[in-house]
Amino acid sequence: MDILMQLLMSGIALGMIYAVIAFGYQSTFATSGTLNFGQGEALMLGAMVGLSFNGDVLGGPYTNYWLMIPLVLLFGALQGMVVEFVGVRPAIKSKSEFGWIMSTIALGIIFRNVAENIWGRDDMPFPSPLPTAPIHIFGANVLPMELMVVVGALLMMLLVELFNRRSIYGKAVVATSSDRDAAGLMGINTGLVITFSYALSSMSAAFAGVLIAPITLTGASMGAVLGLKAFAVAIIGGLTSGLGVIVGGILLGIAETTTGFYLSTGYKDVPGLVLLLLVLAIKPSGLFGKTTIKKV
Amino acid sequence: MHFAIPKWAAPVLGVSLVAVALGAMAAEPIKIGVSGPFTGGSSPMGLSMRDGVRLATEEINKAGGVLGRKIQLIERDDEAKNERGVQVTQELISREKVVADVGFINTGVALASQRFYEEAKIPVINNVATGSLITKQFLPPEYKDNYVFRTSANDGIQSHMIVEEAIIKRKFTKVAILADSTNYGQLGREDLEKALAARGIKPVAVEKFNIKDTDMTAQLLRAKEAGAQAILTYGIGPELAQIANGMAKLGWKVPMIGSWTLSMANFIDNAGANSNGARMPQTFIQEPNTPKRKAFIDAYVKAYHPANGRIPSPVSAAQGYDSMYLLAAAIKQAGTTDGPAIRAALEDLKQPVEGVVTNYNKPYSHDNHEAITANIPVMGEVKDGHVVYAYEEDRKNPFHTR
Repeated sequence: MDILMQLLMSGIALGMIYAVIAFGYQSTFATSGTLNFGQGEALMLGAMVGLSFNGDVLGGPYTNYWLMIPLVLLFGALQGMVVEFVGVRPAIKSKSEFGWIMSTIALGIIFRNVAENIWGRDDMPFPSPLPTAPIHIFGANVLPMELMVVVGALLMMLLVELFNRRSIYGKAVVATSSDRDAAGLMGINTGLVITFSYALSSMSAAFAGVLIAPITLTGASMGAVLGLKAFAVAIIGGLTSGLGVIVGGILLGIAETTTGFYLSTGYKDVPGLVLLLLVLAIKPSGLFGKTTIKKV
Repeated sequence: MHFAIPKWAAPVLGVSLVAVALGAMAAEPIKIGVSGPFTGGSSPMGLSMRDGVRLATEEINKAGGVLGRKIQLIERDDEAKNERGVQVTQELISREKVVADVGFINTGVALASQRFYEEAKIPVINNVATGSLITKQFLPPEYKDNYVFRTSANDGIQSHMIVEEAIIKRKFTKVAILADSTNYGQLGREDLEKALAARGIKPVAVEKFNIKDTDMTAQLLRAKEAGAQAILTYGIGPELAQIANGMAKLGWKVPMIGSWTLSMANFIDNAGANSNGARMPQTFIQEPNTPKRKAFIDAYVKAYHPANGRIPSPVSAAQGYDSMYLLAAAIKQAGTTDGPAIRAALEDLKQPVEGVVTNYNKPYSHDNHEAITANIPVMGEVKDGHVVYAYEEDRKNPFHTR
């Protein structure tokens, strides 16, 4: 029983890491129908900038962990605006179906190369703001930092949800996601809303970066695998549902740890991908996604 | 295709050609290739190796060079990628026309690239890569002469030492193997399983992990449930750190014993206190217990200022340093920079070469291209951020020759 509990707990912790990254895919898809394929790199940049403030890589530490977070959020927002301005806006303007895919991938590669030149290519430890000794919950061992990932991810999603429901600006975002053309006719500056959603998306990725960096390692290549897994989570959960990414993330995380233990560690990535294929075959909009009909 | 040559170019070209010709007359330097990963996860090894080679070269040049000529290093980054390794190898051979090469950190890159040296009859000394196959790729009768040499302890020697440490010295009967899914990890796992079988022991769990995996819960729980008393590892720094951190998280602490990569700085730094006690075979430990070693460590620290005075990968630096001295001795004995002559000289070195790892007295013969024998490496242990001798008697009596 303890074993299963430990696998579930570790799976949930891992899954919430995926979910918090996958959340970033959603916010841009909702408003503009486009995705930032450089999401993993946005996460990496957030972690690296955070480490520069908080660690000793660039002569620091300059701030403590908690003071660093708003600075990283600001950086993430600016980085997202750059991606939108350079990579996505031209594609939307020219009604290009696929231009944004290539340009966001290209920007991701550029960001990674820049990071390699600034911070080097080695993996570095990120100082943990919480004690690193595990605590016991229901017979399983959990790191305090893993709890913080779960709490931080939920808090972030809650805040975004509140913003969307309660504020006038949030309503503009919701309106744009339900019908961009109609929202435009109602006087909403949909271009600005899309820019905002990219800023929000990269901001959440940067936040995810500093949240998970004390558990994973920090390095220029940290985003590649995580970004891809998070994309799978976004597809499984559905690109339009906030609940979906949490459930999708936890499903994938638990699938990985339990298969690794009960079947073989050589096959631990397989069930997640099988799940992805099943979802795509049976319910292409994701477990919690709204089915959209594309009129042609 | 047509290139327009500007008018000013002709005289400039002429002058530079004359300069090149003049330079050639005044004792042209001997070009030696240095290839390894200077970027990426294996770069602590690649950079330490390169710096060791540079240090030896500087000393040799200061003492007048070889055959009255200076040694010039042509350094190339293979990025730990097989295809990139092949590319830079071909460049070193056909464009730079090197007379020999030292380097190769990654077994896969070495196996893919050294074929070109063999075909061009140019000797190459592997100074870090450990795969057992490396020196056995080109054996007679298929190939008349083998141009591949080595100054590192191969995986056969290492896996034997790991098993001896676990089974004989520390009397464990149940061990688990954790290896990464690369060539290095899986070939090492095979060697470990063979060495265990020779002692009549079957590992209680054999688990795999991928590069960049962040969660090791499943692998560790399987080993724990199978009752493992120790974990034997074959992987590289970052993932080894995740294993050590994962054990701390599960509150399950058993000894980690593994290949020499447990001495990598990116394992020790990323695992922090959890890396304490990990043991691995080492040909060299950064401790000035012979005059030669003291001189080497002092010179390295003075020249390259490593953080906290700690060489990122002391083993790679020492083996790199020694490989250059062996090569210089062979060129000197051959009296020429002709590839086959250098190979023949390496296989029959008349003068012993004093090294940092050991003293090389006839290190190679025509059929043996391994300079390091099983008695040379010692067990190292991670202690508070440094690799130290695991056994006091090794520290006192650290210098072994074949």
